[in-house]
Amino acid sequence: MEAQLIRRPAAATCCTLLSNSTSSATANRLLVVRTTTPTANTRQKSTAARARRALAIPPHPSFLGSPTSSSDRIIFNPPASEASVFHTPYKFLPKSDPRRRVSLPDMFGSATTTKAGTSTTTPSLDASKLPVVKKWAFNTKPHHLTLEDVHEIRRLRAEDPVENTVAKVASRYNCTKLFVMMCSESSREHRDKMRAELEAKRARWGPIRAAAKAARKQRFDMLMRGEL
Amino acid sequence: MKRLRPASSRWTGWLLVARPGALRSAQQQPVSLTLRRQQSTSTATAPASYNTQLDGTDHDRFPPLEPLPPSATSLPSPLPERALRSAKLAALHARLSLPKKLPLQTLARTLVDASADENPKFNNANLAFVGQTLINYHIAEWIMVRYPRLPMAIIWAAMLAYTGPAPLHQVARSWGIESAAVPGGEVDPGLLQYSLEKPGTAIRGFGYKREELDFIDKYKFRQSINSGVIFDDDYGNLIRENAQRQRQEEQDAMDANYDESIEPDHMSYGNEATRSLAENAHANFTRAVVGAIYAHCGRDAVKAFIKSHIMSRTLDFSKLFEFKNPTRELNMLCEREDFDPPIARMLSETGRLSRTPVYVVGIFSGNDKLGEAVGPSLDMARLKAAMNSLKSWYLYSPGGNARLPSDMLAPEARPWQPAYIDIGEVVAR
Repeated sequence: MEAQLIRRPAAATCCTLLSNSTSSATANRLLVVRTTTPTANTRQKSTAARARRALAIPPHPSFLGSPTSSSDRIIFNPPASEASVFHTPYKFLPKSDPRRRVSLPDMFGSATTTKAGTSTTTPSLDASKLPVVKKWAFNTKPHHLTLEDVHEIRRLRAEDPVENTVAKVASRYNCTKLFVMMCSESSREHRDKMRAELEAKRARWGPIRAAAKAARKQRFDMLMRGEL
Repeated sequence: MKRLRPASSRWTGWLLVARPGALRSAQQQPVSLTLRRQQSTSTATAPASYNTQLDGTDHDRFPPLEPLPPSATSLPSPLPERALRSAKLAALHARLSLPKKLPLQTLARTLVDASADENPKFNNANLAFVGQTLINYHIAEWIMVRYPRLPMAIIWAAMLAYTGPAPLHQVARSWGIESAAVPGGEVDPGLLQYSLEKPGTAIRGFGYKREELDFIDKYKFRQSINSGVIFDDDYGNLIRENAQRQRQEEQDAMDANYDESIEPDHMSYGNEATRSLAENAHANFTRAVVGAIYAHCGRDAVKAFIKSHIMSRTLDFSKLFEFKNPTRELNMLCEREDFDPPIARMLSETGRLSRTPVYVVGIFSGNDKLGEAVGPSLDMARLKAAMNSLKSWYLYSPGGNARLPSDMLAPEARPWQPAYIDIGEVVAR
């Protein structure tokens, strides 16, 4: 029997009991993922009354109003929304803009212009503690290749473009594939051959894969137009 | 944006001398009105029965709803004096709250398209040209002062969205303009008159015909944005030698391809070509009204009119953008402006192992957040956040109350303080 991955908290408790009581042969069949605080993930309650009580969330304070005032009041509880692109970040404001002169940096949460400890309303954000999604390749440009290297790249690519592929040359010279393609151009026959190979590959796609590829491209184009 | 004639210069030629005696009453000048039409009617002193034979209508049997002048049915457009008796025109004048200085006769002339009446003294082509110039100038300066960092391609798109034929057609429709089925001298002067048979004259805007135009068509030459600013029209389109002839050729090609057996009902409700003709006619009417207000009431009135009818339309500028390499563009921007290189960092996430995860990614330059976005994958959210950062750069606005250059033309204007001007586009396209 294959090892199963069980994530539900209820199953976790029963599996823990199993592994405690039975032999190691039984425990091998089950892989238990334990969370640090098992009770925090528990969603269900033992009785219906407790579940009802747990789900009874008090309304937002804005809906309640103060008990003393009986007059009309404004309820302001907007849903979370995307940041508007029309709110120019502080860094993007030009030097001449009057918004720079006012002490607005607190509002924008900028740490470069705010002295530590001065902002009381909004805690300043430490961006360096947030996880990096992806390091952009062009953030670091070593510019380590010399003219001789470029000539060598060209020679290699012209000599045997099949053996010395763009990826191989790029990894050998520790540069990007784009740079290799920028400084060397393969022969027309080679390019035609590669294109024909790609076309042959595409021709073998079935209707499902072709539709999936087309949908993916369409989705990407929509993203670039800001429609997604 | 481009060359613009100063608004204070005197308009000469056809524009202001057109329709002499338009304000004179019909009772004073019935004969001269007929005489001025000599170029369109072969005999000015033709008897009434001659006209009856011309259009094949027996006016004794089918008397017109209003007493028409003897030569009315043979004229290409209604006589100017009939404007005073048209209820539709008076209603339009009142509905638009037009100044009293603008006479009904001129308003009637704005409704006559060049395709209905070829005579430039009686159609709206000249007024439409003035109106187009004024509209494009005011919208262009307003866009450039309001969003000084917009790339040129976006400015062109915004110009088209405010001053192109489609929005001006909508403006005319919203004014309650109705059109005559077929133009002619006997129709009500309060109806928009244009012909579906002949395209009429196209208004020439500013711009030059490129010398390499034939090669552009033949070899698909790429044109730079900078050359487009110099040579092309207000929307970045190439200036053709004869747009009218080209339209006629397109129409002929469409007619040649048209097969009656395929869609017999389609033609009766119009097709692409008739819709485009109607759109252009409505747009030219809107432009002509603006031109007429300028000719009769001056600069301030026309500016207020453009502001209330065209500038007041809503356009979401953030929807006009389409990016190719947003991350690279943002990196180039940060390099140019000497900011720290942008880094994508995750602000929050949920459901990473589920079918529908949600990631919130922010782009940071140093410790400053430039933009953020939500996406179903890390890569999508990152690209979207980069695009949002770029949009918030391009859509910087000094505020809605920024002064325009044309504000300085007002008497006793405050001294001019230079508007914010950006150093240029991030990516040369």
